[in-house]
Amino acid sequence: MKKANDHGKFKYGMVIDIDKCTGCGTCMVACAAENNVAVRADQSDKERTITWMRLYKISNGKEFPKAEVSYFPRPCMHCDHHPPCVSVCVATATKLDFNTGIVSQIYTRCIGCRYCQAACPYGARYFNWWDVFPQDKGMDRYLTPEVSPRMRGVVEKCTFCHQRLMRAKTLAYAEDRREIEEGEYVTACAEACPAQAITFGDLNNPEHEVSKLIKHPFTFRLLERIGTEPKVYYHSNRDWIRKLGDNFLPGEYTPVVNKSWAEEEWSTKPGRDEF
Amino acid sequence: MKITRRNFIAAVVGGVAGIQATPLPWKFTDDVAIWTQNWPWVPVPATGEFTDVSSVCNLCPGGCGIAVRKVDERAIKIEGRTDYPVNPGGICPVGMGGLQLLYDESLRFTGPMKRVGLRGAGQFKEISWGEAFDIVAGRISNLRKKGTPEAIAAVDGNPEGTTVSVLIKRLMRAMGSPNYVRPPSINDTYRMGNLLMQGTLAPMAYDLENSDYVLSFGAGLLEGWGAPGRVMNAWGMWHDGNPAKRKTRIVQVESRASNTASKADMWVAPRPGTDGALALGIAHVIIKSGQYDSRFIADHSFGFEDWRSLEGVNHTGFKTLVLEKYSPEQVAEITGVNPKTIVSLAKGFVSAKTPVAVYGKGKDNLNGSLYEFMAVQNLNALKGSINRSGGVLLPDPIPLSDLPLLEVDAIASKGLKTPRLDQAGTMRYPFTDSLINNFTDAINRDSKSPVDTLLVFSANPFFTLPDGGGFKKALEKIPFIVSFSPYRDETANMADLILPDSTYLEKVDDIVWPTGLQYPLYGLSKPVVEPLYNTKNSGDTVIELSRAIDDSVGSGFPWENFEEVLQTRAKGLFDAGGGLVSYDPDAPAWQRQTAGNGPKPEYESFDEMWEGIQSEGMWYRPVSSPRSWKGLFNTPSGKFEFSSKLIAQAIENYSNKISKKAALKNMGLAATEDEVCMAHYEAPKAGADLSAYPLKMLPYEMINLASGWIPSPPFLYKTIFENQLLKDKSFAAINPKTAAKYHLEEGELVAVKSPAGEVQVRVNLSEGAMPGIVYLPLGFGHTAYDEFLKGKGVNPNNIVQAGQDPISGYPVWWNTPVKLIKV
Repeated sequence: MKKANDHGKFKYGMVIDIDKCTGCGTCMVACAAENNVAVRADQSDKERTITWMRLYKISNGKEFPKAEVSYFPRPCMHCDHHPPCVSVCVATATKLDFNTGIVSQIYTRCIGCRYCQAACPYGARYFNWWDVFPQDKGMDRYLTPEVSPRMRGVVEKCTFCHQRLMRAKTLAYAEDRREIEEGEYVTACAEACPAQAITFGDLNNPEHEVSKLIKHPFTFRLLERIGTEPKVYYHSNRDWIRKLGDNFLPGEYTPVVNKSWAEEEWSTKPGRDEF
Repeated sequence: MKITRRNFIAAVVGGVAGIQATPLPWKFTDDVAIWTQNWPWVPVPATGEFTDVSSVCNLCPGGCGIAVRKVDERAIKIEGRTDYPVNPGGICPVGMGGLQLLYDESLRFTGPMKRVGLRGAGQFKEISWGEAFDIVAGRISNLRKKGTPEAIAAVDGNPEGTTVSVLIKRLMRAMGSPNYVRPPSINDTYRMGNLLMQGTLAPMAYDLENSDYVLSFGAGLLEGWGAPGRVMNAWGMWHDGNPAKRKTRIVQVESRASNTASKADMWVAPRPGTDGALALGIAHVIIKSGQYDSRFIADHSFGFEDWRSLEGVNHTGFKTLVLEKYSPEQVAEITGVNPKTIVSLAKGFVSAKTPVAVYGKGKDNLNGSLYEFMAVQNLNALKGSINRSGGVLLPDPIPLSDLPLLEVDAIASKGLKTPRLDQAGTMRYPFTDSLINNFTDAINRDSKSPVDTLLVFSANPFFTLPDGGGFKKALEKIPFIVSFSPYRDETANMADLILPDSTYLEKVDDIVWPTGLQYPLYGLSKPVVEPLYNTKNSGDTVIELSRAIDDSVGSGFPWENFEEVLQTRAKGLFDAGGGLVSYDPDAPAWQRQTAGNGPKPEYESFDEMWEGIQSEGMWYRPVSSPRSWKGLFNTPSGKFEFSSKLIAQAIENYSNKISKKAALKNMGLAATEDEVCMAHYEAPKAGADLSAYPLKMLPYEMINLASGWIPSPPFLYKTIFENQLLKDKSFAAINPKTAAKYHLEEGELVAVKSPAGEVQVRVNLSEGAMPGIVYLPLGFGHTAYDEFLKGKGVNPNNIVQAGQDPISGYPVWWNTPVKLIKV
């Protein structure tokens, strides 16, 4: 496999533990609150509602009472290898930062052609059809100055809370440090998750928890086979969830069986009991 | 018309002239200019000094610690505190969106107001606080002068035991009205169950973090039960590391594939309302196999074996009852759960080291059933999980000081002698504090409302009560309504006068023992920002109101302000000793400390302690070693009672007055004799012709939608799925098999009709729904607030037909018969 972005120093990424995820949606709200995301009166039209972090509900497709639901929290995947949005942007409004691995979005450059939105395999990009939110309600009072509110007519998306990296760097600089520690820079969603399902860190740093977690046999990525090398990983012990990580043809998916795991540490079969 | 040169020129000139007159081209040109430039109305949030203020979230009784990030005077983000014992870092989505409840002006009352439009229209005129106090105090003192203070009633949604609720109760007493009612919550069921079985007064204390097998009967652990920040953190811990080495297993008993049910290690789906029978079935297997904790049963329990009273009467014990009536096969008949599953549940429960059986009904916003609670608590007793780490702990009540005794005047003492409208605490409902559904009925029964003036505190009964819209009708009849709500909710819109409270981010307030927490915790929120509008902390409002009424009422409130009352009560915390006012995340409060080894209080005087509470927002006592059994159970037998002597006594008392048969009937009991003192299953009464209403409707709660009196922050609607809400229609989750019977397809409009009413929803075909049940989400269907919340979906409470739970009298909101009509 081709290794991308290996010349950068940092490569931030996250691992989301689907089994810990409770589907509560705090990550979505935390993200919207952190990033001055617009709110509209009707937010049930999911194509127009801006959710940098979005929960997708999945189901194992079985009948009652064997049915179960779960959730994929989906931020921008910050693809590490030719992010499709970057490739297509005619205005150079989005680019992959090789020093951090973050795929940025520069609103003032964006011309609103929405090509990137069409290119993104994850539906992680959103177009501002309207201004921030209804005027004269006093809601602009909670906007943070750390993130610029977007004007209508531009595309926006998850930035891995880039402003938090800036904040951590500034703090380190003020304390005369060259490096920031693990945990000093985490995204709003990771910080907010009440079940600690999201782990965030530097994938290039073997000491960081994330780089350990991605080696686990039950860790996977969404649409891994299109080769964009997303930096957002998922983890689940349930086979049906891992299977939904990609569009497998019938029979194409092979359940993960890591011999050493199965023999040494698994006393029961993965997944939960059937009753 | 023929086109001539003349006509042609006229048309062109006319057209050109006409275009000049319409605004369209100018609008288009303007728009083009705007779209291609930077437009000036994109807000540029002012920057400034960044600070963090620590406080406590008061949106639900969970009381999670929050850190609010501020820029100068503006609050810009709420985050979970990592230095708070309840929630190490996480909070729920409602708390996360809390700033919208502060800053969305159209959700809020900006000052005291008088109604000018029709009731419910939400048209108010701003008045001064002085004027507002004059109006309400004048009305109350008139009623007192007339000698009818009992015509004043209060609905108080502040959690039981909080200082503001203590003050409101006190005000009601001082004025002379017994009619203080509360919306029911699961804590009421816990309180009653604990009283009857254990004789303990402290709130329910489930030691979840130390448990290795959590058998949850209906408690929405991931739907917002208890303190969401605490429970979800425990969930994360339970799932940490290698699943094969996982310590804790979670079993969810619930009829719908909720998040909790789906994410649990095992999901068992009994028919709604039969959880109690399932618990008794499990008890049967445990007893039959002899795997119960015989020491606990022998030393600390009463009523397990058959027994003989002092008068020589033989009585049936729990063992006989369960062995006779609740075999797995019999229970399978009632619950629809496979007998094999019941056996395996029992096996799992007894083979765990520190299992706990948790009782609940979704979030903690609504009450449960007394006998169901008792059935579940019996499992804890059988396994000896009571007063044991990882089970149910029996702490003392929180040692807050009582306020000085209130002396009431002659008018008040006469008023207080009048019977309560809701009949709570009478022989019919001997253990119940408050029955708001009865209160509603009492108002609706007669042509004239017995309540003249209604005071509503921190509650929105119009929206939240499962009463088929009964409270709304009652509101229409009550001559004068005063709302103390900070929000423009449905109930407030019906009010004649608004004395708005400040929101939780603008005031000091206390949280007394978050629901389900296993150790005592007293939280104190502080103003994160100065009040934005002309609002007043309801604690202060009550004190000022008491003085405005008359000297006699006012003399019972000798405090300068609300904070002084908080301090007065907190004295008891100091006197009791041993409480901590700061938290070290490395020593979680739930980790049992060996005696004398735990952290020591870092204060020496009350003032120091109070300062600590004010700055850190907490007083708590970490879990300590199991308590001595001596005097632990304050029941008549001094033991844990499988067979409640208090119930037996209450029925006897009532039977002495009317016949036993009538007594049992009035108390809602179908069972007779010894069975009524023990957990048993009774099919709830149908209340309707089941052939006309063949299905059942069950309201369900979601963690990402506020269903209590607090509005949902608009952000939350981002998290709602398009098969839960689409435009203005919410969805009913229906099993595909049931839907097929009615030829319903995904997204189709359907009317759900019960004897109490009808709502229109869309169909969501869901395999997670039990066949035969229509699941409607709670929290939609607001008719108040602003465009973010109003008119979205339907409120299932409007069609709930609630019977009464035996003995407790609380509404049985999980048993509404419905039918589906294709629209």
